[in-house]
Amino acid sequence: MNTSPIIEFKNISKKFGDFFANEEITFSILPNTVHSLIGENGAGKTTLMKILFGIYKQDSGHIYINGNPVSFKNPLDAIMNNIGMVHQHFELIDDFTALENIVLGDEESDYGFLNLNKSRKVLIDIIAKYNLGINLDEKVCNISISEKQKIELLKLLYRKSEILIFDEPTAVLSPIEVEEFFKIIRKFKEEGKTILLITHKLNEIKELSDSVTVLRKGKVVYEVGSDALDISVLSREIVGELETVIDLNIRGDVKSEEPYIELNNIVYKHEKASALNGVNLSVYGGQIYSICGVEGNGQSEIVDLIAGITRKSSGSIQMKYDGISLVPDDRLEKGMVKEFNTGENVLLRNNKSKYISSSKIYDTAKAVVDKYDVRLPALNAPLESLSGGNQQKVIFGREIELDNNIMVFVHPTRGVDINATAYIHKIILEQRNKGKAVLLVTSDLDEALKLSDKIGIIYKGLIGKEFTRNEFDESTDKRNRVLQNIGKAMIGVNSD
Amino acid sequence: MTKKVKANILSTSISLVATIIILFVFLYLVGKDPFEVMQKMLTEVFGTGYGIGQAIFKATPLIICGCGLAFCFQASLFNIGAEGQLNLGVFVMSIVAYMFDDYLGIFILPIAVAIGFAVSAFWGFIPAYIKIKRGVSEVITTIMMNFISLALINYFLIEFLAVKSTVRTEKILDVINIPKLSVFSDYFEGSSANLTFFFAIALAAATYFIFYKTSFGYKLRAVGLNPKASRYLGINTNKMTIIAFMIGAGITSLVGLNFVFGYKGYYEYGFSNNLGFTAIAVTLLAKNNPIGIIFTALLFGIMDYGGLSVNTLVPKEIMLVFQALVILSILSFDRIIKIYYLKEK
Amino acid sequence: MLESIITYSFFMQVFRMFTPYYLGASAATFSERSGVVNIAIEGFMIISAFSYAAITIATQNPYLGLIGGLIIGILFSLFFSLFTIKLKINQIVIGVGFNLLMAGLAKFLMLLFFHSSSNTPGYPHIPRLPFLKSIPMIGDLTGDSIIIFALLLVFISQTVLFKTRFGLRLRSVGENPEAAETLGIKVRLYKSGGVIICGLLASLGGIWLASNQGSFSDGMVAGRGYIAIAAMIIGKWKPMNIFFACLMFAFFESLEIALQISGSGIPSQFVQMLPYLITILVLIGFVGKTKPPAADGIPY
Repeated sequence: MNTSPIIEFKNISKKFGDFFANEEITFSILPNTVHSLIGENGAGKTTLMKILFGIYKQDSGHIYINGNPVSFKNPLDAIMNNIGMVHQHFELIDDFTALENIVLGDEESDYGFLNLNKSRKVLIDIIAKYNLGINLDEKVCNISISEKQKIELLKLLYRKSEILIFDEPTAVLSPIEVEEFFKIIRKFKEEGKTILLITHKLNEIKELSDSVTVLRKGKVVYEVGSDALDISVLSREIVGELETVIDLNIRGDVKSEEPYIELNNIVYKHEKASALNGVNLSVYGGQIYSICGVEGNGQSEIVDLIAGITRKSSGSIQMKYDGISLVPDDRLEKGMVKEFNTGENVLLRNNKSKYISSSKIYDTAKAVVDKYDVRLPALNAPLESLSGGNQQKVIFGREIELDNNIMVFVHPTRGVDINATAYIHKIILEQRNKGKAVLLVTSDLDEALKLSDKIGIIYKGLIGKEFTRNEFDESTDKRNRVLQNIGKAMIGVNSD
Repeated sequence: MTKKVKANILSTSISLVATIIILFVFLYLVGKDPFEVMQKMLTEVFGTGYGIGQAIFKATPLIICGCGLAFCFQASLFNIGAEGQLNLGVFVMSIVAYMFDDYLGIFILPIAVAIGFAVSAFWGFIPAYIKIKRGVSEVITTIMMNFISLALINYFLIEFLAVKSTVRTEKILDVINIPKLSVFSDYFEGSSANLTFFFAIALAAATYFIFYKTSFGYKLRAVGLNPKASRYLGINTNKMTIIAFMIGAGITSLVGLNFVFGYKGYYEYGFSNNLGFTAIAVTLLAKNNPIGIIFTALLFGIMDYGGLSVNTLVPKEIMLVFQALVILSILSFDRIIKIYYLKEK
Repeated sequence: MLESIITYSFFMQVFRMFTPYYLGASAATFSERSGVVNIAIEGFMIISAFSYAAITIATQNPYLGLIGGLIIGILFSLFFSLFTIKLKINQIVIGVGFNLLMAGLAKFLMLLFFHSSSNTPGYPHIPRLPFLKSIPMIGDLTGDSIIIFALLLVFISQTVLFKTRFGLRLRSVGENPEAAETLGIKVRLYKSGGVIICGLLASLGGIWLASNQGSFSDGMVAGRGYIAIAAMIIGKWKPMNIFFACLMFAFFESLEIALQISGSGIPSQFVQMLPYLITILVLIGFVGKTKPPAADGIPY
C-alpha cells in the first residue's frame, strides 16, 4: 500500500480583512481514503477547499499533490490535476440541459461545433455504471435536488477526477437519498479515488471516514484515524469550551386558551407548482411550535404567508394579534440592510416618530448592544462589519424588543457559533414563558427537540404528523421510537 | 475624517486631474493649445459676474433635476426618463400659464407649477406601475417613454400650440417672471441667473433632510439597498417604488421655473438639450447625495458656460467630451480606490 | 390609400431599414448573452458612422472607412469591457457615460474637422457587389454587402450561440458565471468576447447608416440603437425572434417615411412613437413573459 500522502497542506493561511479564515493549517491526506474535514459553520473548511480547488489563493503556505508543490490560479488548473469539487450550493446553469451542464468546459467538438452526441455516449456508460439515472435532455430548472446532485457527480466522473471534494453533500438530501449517496462514495473508494468530505454531521464521519481532521476558528485542532475515533471526544473538539450552560427545562404552563396563529387548509400555488397543499396549523400563546422537515418542503412558504410577504391561494389565516416579530432564515438577504448601522437597522423596523436624529440612532444602538451583548467594532459600524453571530443578535434584539405576541424564528441558529446558539435558545424559551406564541422553523432536529412544546413534520407542502413534548421528552421511554417516527415522517414514510 | 470620506475626496480629485490631463492631450493632438483654451475659459467664467451668473444659470436646472433623480436612484430605481418627464411637465406648465395668465396674474405660477409637477409625476408613475405589476425593468420603459413623450409634445406643439413657424409656445405675461439676480446686484448684469437658483439650493437641502433625517428617507434607502429585506422588515416596497418615482419625476418638472418663468417666458422644443441625461451624470457623481449634487451641478454649469466662452478657439462641444470623461474617470477611480485603498472586493 | 404606400419600393425600404436594427440588436444580444448589458449601442453606431464618414472623406476610399469604423468600434468596446468587466462598474451607468462620450466626440470632431454643426460633406458609399447588384427587382438589396450580411447574421448568430463551443460557454457566463468558473471557464475572457462582438456589429450598423446616407449628420442614428435593444428584448434574446421584431420596427419606420411623403392625414409623430409603444406593450406582457439571461447586468 502506498503510504505517501496524495495531498499535503503546509502552513496554509488565508485572511479576509482582519479575520483569519485559515491559520497555519497543516495536515495531509492519504490516497484512496475518505478523509473528513469537520467543524462548525465558519470554521474555515470551505475556504480551505476553495484554496485547494483554485477559487481562492492562500496568503501563505503551500499545497503539495503527490509530493509536488502546486499553485492553482483557477479551477481549471485544479481540474487539470484531476481534482473535482461539488459545492455546497450546486453550481448549475438553470437554463441549460443536464447534458450541457455536464460537458460545459470540456466539450467534445468538431472545428468548434458542439458534438453533444459523442459526450452523450460516454455519459450513458457512466450513468449505467454508477446507477445515476437522470434525463440528460431535461433543463436543470425542472429537476429535483437529488437529481441536481447526480449531475454534479456526473460532472466529476466525466472529467475522470481522482480527488473528489464534497462540501456538505448531504445537507439537502433525505435519509434514503443519503444512503444512496454513501453507496456511491464507497464505490468511488473501491475504484481507488480519494474523497474529501466536508461535513458537520458526526454520523457521516462514523460511517464513511478513514481519517478525520477537525477545524475550529480556522485552525487544525484535532486529527484522528477511524480506528481511534471517539464521537464524544470529537464533538468536544468541534465546539471547544462552552461559555455558559443553560437549563432549557424551566417551562411554566402558560398556554393560552385560544390559538394566536391558526392556519386552515392553506393552499399556495407558485408558478403552477403547488407549494402548500392544505396546511393546518395552530400555535398557542405560551407555546413553542416547531416545523421540522427537509428544506424545500414548504417551510418558507408558510413563513412568507404569515409574514404577509405572499398571499395564499385558498384557505384561511387567523392571527389573534396584529404585527409579528420575525427573524428570517437568511440574515443578509432578508433580515437587515447591511450598509446601515445597528441603530438604523433597529429604527427601520421600530420607530414611532417621523424623524430620525443621530442621537436617536446612537441611543437605540446602545440599548440593543448592551441588552443583547452584541460585540461590534464601533457603535456606528455598518452591520456588514459584524460577525454572523453578532448580526443575528442585533436582529434578535430588534424583533424581541418589538414585543409582539406572535414570534416567528426561522433557522435562528444557522451559521451561529455554539455560544451564541445557547444564548439564542435561552431567549426563545424566555419568550415562550412570557406567554408569547413562538413558531420555530428549523431543520435541526436537536434544536426542535430541545425547545418545542409541539413539533409538526412538514413533507411536500403538508404538515402530516405532529408530536407533543410528552412523546419526545428525554424522560419518556418511548422517545427512541418517536424519534424514528419523526425521521420517517420527514421523508414521507408512514410510521407504525 | 473617516477613511470613506478620505477615499471619496481622493477619488474625486484624482479623476478631475486625470480628466484634465486626458483632455489636454486630446486638445494637443487635434492641434489646439490646451493652455490657451483653459486660460480663456477660466477668465471668462470667473473673471466676470456675467460668467459666474451664466454658470449658475446652467447649474440651476441640474440641481433640481438631480434632486429628482436622487429620489429614484436612492431607491435603486434607474430612471433614465428624466428627459421625457421634465419636458412633458414643463410643456404643460407653460401652456397652463399662458392660457390663464390674463385672469389669474401672478397666482397662475403656483397653479401651473403644480399641474406641471403632476403631469411629470404621472409620467413617472407609469414605469413604476409597470415595474411593480409586471416586473419590467424601468431602464427600458423610461428610455422608450422618452421617445414617446417627445413625439407627443412635438405633435401637439406643431399641430396646435406653437407660435407660427417656430417650435415654441406663446409668451407668458412678464409680471409672472421670476426676478433675475441682476435685479438685486449689478454684478450679475446681463446674465440669466435668477432666484430659482436659491430655490434649487433649498430643494437640495430639503431633499437631504428627507433622505438622512426622516423615517421615510431611511425606508426609501433601505428599499434601494435591499428590497427583499425591506419587505421582511415590513416596508411596503411597491408603495415606495411608486412614491419615489412620482416624487422624483415630479421634481424634474421644476426646471421649468428656471427656463420658462426665470428666463424665456415660454416652452421651446429642445430647450432641455439632454438635461435629463446630464443630470444622471451629475447625480451619480454626487453619489445621490443632494448636497453633493449642488457642487457637481455647479461644476457642470461651469463647464457648460466655459464651453461657450471658448467657442472661438475650439468647438464648444469639447465640453460634452469633458463631461463624459469626468463621469467615466470618477466611476473608475472610485472603483480603483475601493479595491486598492479601502480593500473592498 | 394603402395601395399607394405599400409598394415595391416600400418593401425595399423595409429591408434597408431592417439592416441597422438587426445589426444593433444582434450586437446587444451577444453582449447580454454573456451577461453584460450594453445600452451604448446608440453611441457605438454614432461614433463608427462618423469614423466611416471622416476616414472616407479623407482618403476617398470607402473600404478604409469601413475598416477604420470597425477598428474604432473595437477600441471602444475594449474600453467598455475594461470598465464593466475588469473594474465591474455598474453597466448601465457606464452605458450612459459611453453614449454621452461617443455622441459628444462625434459632434466635437465634426465641428473641428468640417466646421459644421449639422453635417459633413458628401462621400462615396461602399461599392455594390458585382453580379448580385444586377439581379432584377432585388438588385438594390442583394448588391449591398452589409444588407446581405445582416440577413445571413440571423443564421450565423443562431449557429454560433447554440451550436458551437464558444456559444455554449458565452451563454454559460451570462447565466451563471460562478458555475462556469468552477468548470474552468475563463469568465472575463468570454464576457469580453461578447462585448467585442457587440461593438463590432453595432459599429457595422453605424457604418451602413453612414454609407447609405452619403453624408454624416448630427442625429442621424436617431435612436436606432435604443430600438435595437427593444427588438432584442421583444425577440427574447433569440436571433430568429429578433429578426421578426426588427422587421416590424423597420416596417413602422418605412411607414412613417411613406406617410410623411404621401401627405396623408395621419400624423407622422404617432407612427414615430409606435415602435416604442409596442415595446412597452410587449414588455407589459401582451406577447408573453420575456426573461433575460439569469446573470444579465450583474458584474462578475
